[in-house]
Amino acid sequence: MGCCYSSDNEPTEQDNDERKPLIPHPNPDKPANGTERSPAAPPSTRPDEQALLNTILHRTAQSIIDVSAADSQGMEQHEYMDKARQYSTKLAVLSSTLSQKKPAPLPSLTSQPHQVLASDLIPTADLLQVSKIAAYAYSAISQIKVDAKEELVVQFAVP
Amino acid sequence: MESTLEQHLDDTMKNPAIVGVLCTDQQGHNLGCRGSLSDEHGGVVSVLARQAATLTRDPTDLNPTVCLESDSGNILIRPHGTITVAVHKIAS
Repeated sequence: MGCCYSSDNEPTEQDNDERKPLIPHPNPDKPANGTERSPAAPPSTRPDEQALLNTILHRTAQSIIDVSAADSQGMEQHEYMDKARQYSTKLAVLSSTLSQKKPAPLPSLTSQPHQVLASDLIPTADLLQVSKIAAYAYSAISQIKVDAKEELVVQFAVP
Repeated sequence: MESTLEQHLDDTMKNPAIVGVLCTDQQGHNLGCRGSLSDEHGGVVSVLARQAATLTRDPTDLNPTVCLESDSGNILIRPHGTITVAVHKIAS
């Protein structure tokens, strides 16, 4: 997964180049010399650093894999036309089956909406009755609560 | 403990115009029902009440009554605190 280009018949020397580490394993002697030299004589270490930088740059340039500049596999004209034709026929088949799945239209409640809208409102007495019923129900439900009769946690009497 | 609620629901049904009553909590769990309203209506009732409350910014109007009107009667849904009550009333 995530591989843009690969083929089975890669030569092994290319493999080795790809797998060569960018920064080589440091020689244990070098760092000790570097730390000893740098505080004593800064001007003389500059050409060494420059040379080291150059070697690093050279090695990076050799081992870098530039994905954007890689030559892409071009398709020939007839292959392209074939694929385009294949996809358009598949789409035509799918679109004919898809167009049948229309969303179900909302049911129409009435053929005379103005009559329904102009009809009487809910009587206020009903609304007051319902709010009273709701208030009584709420107070009745608030009576449902935990009734702690005894301790849930007891101490064992250890003699 | 639920006897008060059950009694209240029975008293509500004594009204001849009321054919169904339902109490749910905020998650749609049925706390008590009678008549034409039952378990399956609990979810819809609680959600309708909650959604209707979002329609208004008026802080004094926190419990709007939702009315479902039809030829066979009206269902009035009213929240109160943590519960929602629905009453199915027919035209008398």
